[in-house]
Amino acid sequence: MKILTVAEMAIREMVRRRAVLALLLALPLAFYLVRRGDQVGQSIRFLLIGLAWAVSTAALFASGTSRPIEPRLRLSGYASHHLYLGRLAAMWLLGIVVAAPFFALVAIDHGDQVRLGAVALAMLFAVTVAAPFGLLIGALVPRELEGTLLLLVVVGLQMMIDPADALTKVTPFWSSREIATYAVDHTGDEYLTRGLVHGLAFTILATAVVALLSTLRLRVRLRAATSA
Amino acid sequence: MDNDRWLWTLGQELARHQLGPDAVRHVVAEAAAHLRDSGQPALRAFGTPEGYAAAVAESLAARYGRPARPAPGRVRLSARGITKRYRRRTILRSVDLTVRAGEVAAVVGANGAGKSTFLRICAGLLTPDAGEVMLDGRLGYCPQDAGTYDFLLPDEQFVLIGAGRGLDRERSKQIGRAGAAALQWRPAAGVQTRHLSGGTRQKLNLVMASMGEPDVLLLDEPYQGFDRGTYLDFWQHVWRWRDEGRAVVVVTHLLSQLDQVDQVLDLTPASEGAAA
Amino acid sequence: MDQERRGQWLRGVLDVCVLALLGRRESYGYELAQALDAAGFGQIQGGTLYPVLLRLQRTGLITAEWREGASGPARKYYRLTEDGEQALARLSADWSVFAGHVDAVIRR
Repeated sequence: MKILTVAEMAIREMVRRRAVLALLLALPLAFYLVRRGDQVGQSIRFLLIGLAWAVSTAALFASGTSRPIEPRLRLSGYASHHLYLGRLAAMWLLGIVVAAPFFALVAIDHGDQVRLGAVALAMLFAVTVAAPFGLLIGALVPRELEGTLLLLVVVGLQMMIDPADALTKVTPFWSSREIATYAVDHTGDEYLTRGLVHGLAFTILATAVVALLSTLRLRVRLRAATSA
Repeated sequence: MDNDRWLWTLGQELARHQLGPDAVRHVVAEAAAHLRDSGQPALRAFGTPEGYAAAVAESLAARYGRPARPAPGRVRLSARGITKRYRRRTILRSVDLTVRAGEVAAVVGANGAGKSTFLRICAGLLTPDAGEVMLDGRLGYCPQDAGTYDFLLPDEQFVLIGAGRGLDRERSKQIGRAGAAALQWRPAAGVQTRHLSGGTRQKLNLVMASMGEPDVLLLDEPYQGFDRGTYLDFWQHVWRWRDEGRAVVVVTHLLSQLDQVDQVLDLTPASEGAAA
Repeated sequence: MDQERRGQWLRGVLDVCVLALLGRRESYGYELAQALDAAGFGQIQGGTLYPVLLRLQRTGLITAEWREGASGPARKYYRLTEDGEQALARLSADWSVFAGHVDAVIRR
């Protein structure tokens, strides 16, 4: 119940920022259109990165706007897990809503050339990973500008890195890339499995670190009277 | 100001002076009868409503004054030996504060004396370098600023705080709106918090802090941007909370109300350096 | 008479005058103001008169009752209590003595 209320207010907060919403949609679209002339695979991969970037940026900002308010919420009866789980749920929902029209776009544009179910799964994982990743950066780097730049570095790295490099496996959005390869290049199941495992592991890890940092930051340092 | 408006304002002002509803009605009715009989404009016959209300309140002081206060109850908040350093600067040096149920404590001091820091430590949001805070009961905390979401409606902020306190949506809105009305504020439908004036935002802040019947209220200068009337209303709330048996700690740099609080904690160092 | 002086003097004796007027018969605020005006004090503003009435009521020298007048709407009628009668007797004696002293000093 408390988680739902936090999620609801986070969504209301976000959707009233019209410009932010427009940019959230514009970013993946731009990425997609820029590479549309190339092979199908590249445009979809860029779309996924754009989506992940947009959602993680939204999560980063949501975490920033809530930071000064969370102490008071914590003192008003919320536990820290209500706060970060509520925000996470909101960002997931928002991400899925943003992803939906792009799925329709891919289905219309390349529906006959790709495994559509796997494309949906890749988008789902881009969103699933991006939300806690944005919250994680928000928790690690309190100032929004620094957080945004850090996110830029990570996404830039993700785009530039040679897919053969071993380092690619520790980048956050590798999972959706692998699933996308499975979807577009009709590879074997190992890509799918690898992507799923990586995505789940990364999500759990990022959420765990967010939980840890949030609980630490919002711990209440009071001794309760024994009679209370 | 026409007479009706003047009489209405008088009623508001009398209520601010804590006259009961009957007393308010009688004083207003008598003034109205006088205006009708004399045909004079109210401002000429009675002066400003504020001034007349103050004169009436003073005349009635013994009878309608603040009801006898219950004796202070058990200790609700106890801060012992609180010390806080930022880098090498000591902000707070072994500060003690004990507030009982039904007491008001004012925390005063120059800018930078550590008033807000001390309040945050009392709220358990900051760890002191030394000392301990003991709390008995539920806490309500009103930060100096940044306690609200810009893009949410006041009603939504009430719901958010209320849910934390275990209240359902309707009840939360009801309590929030009642608190707002008591501060002479009726949230307009559909106006987001970012479009509220500074003073109104502080009202929202204050209403949010007092939701859920806290036993201890920590208020960090919550009246900035209030006009004079609302400022008086704010102190009326403080007295009311106190008379209801809550412990109230108010950070303030205004000294006008200090004669009425139960204790004053002055955080201004006695003299820099020599205070040690 | 200079307004400020008049105000100062009046503040000292207004409660006595009100008690005296109410000693003759019960009355309400506006009527008292008119009576004081007729007695030569000039116009007494409501903002001055009613706080005095409330204080006298609080200290138990007068009581009040809301009543419909013979004509017109309800008014708050004041009348002296027993305490008020005793106070009036004492205060008017005190005033005679005091005014005598002032006279004596001025006319010498």
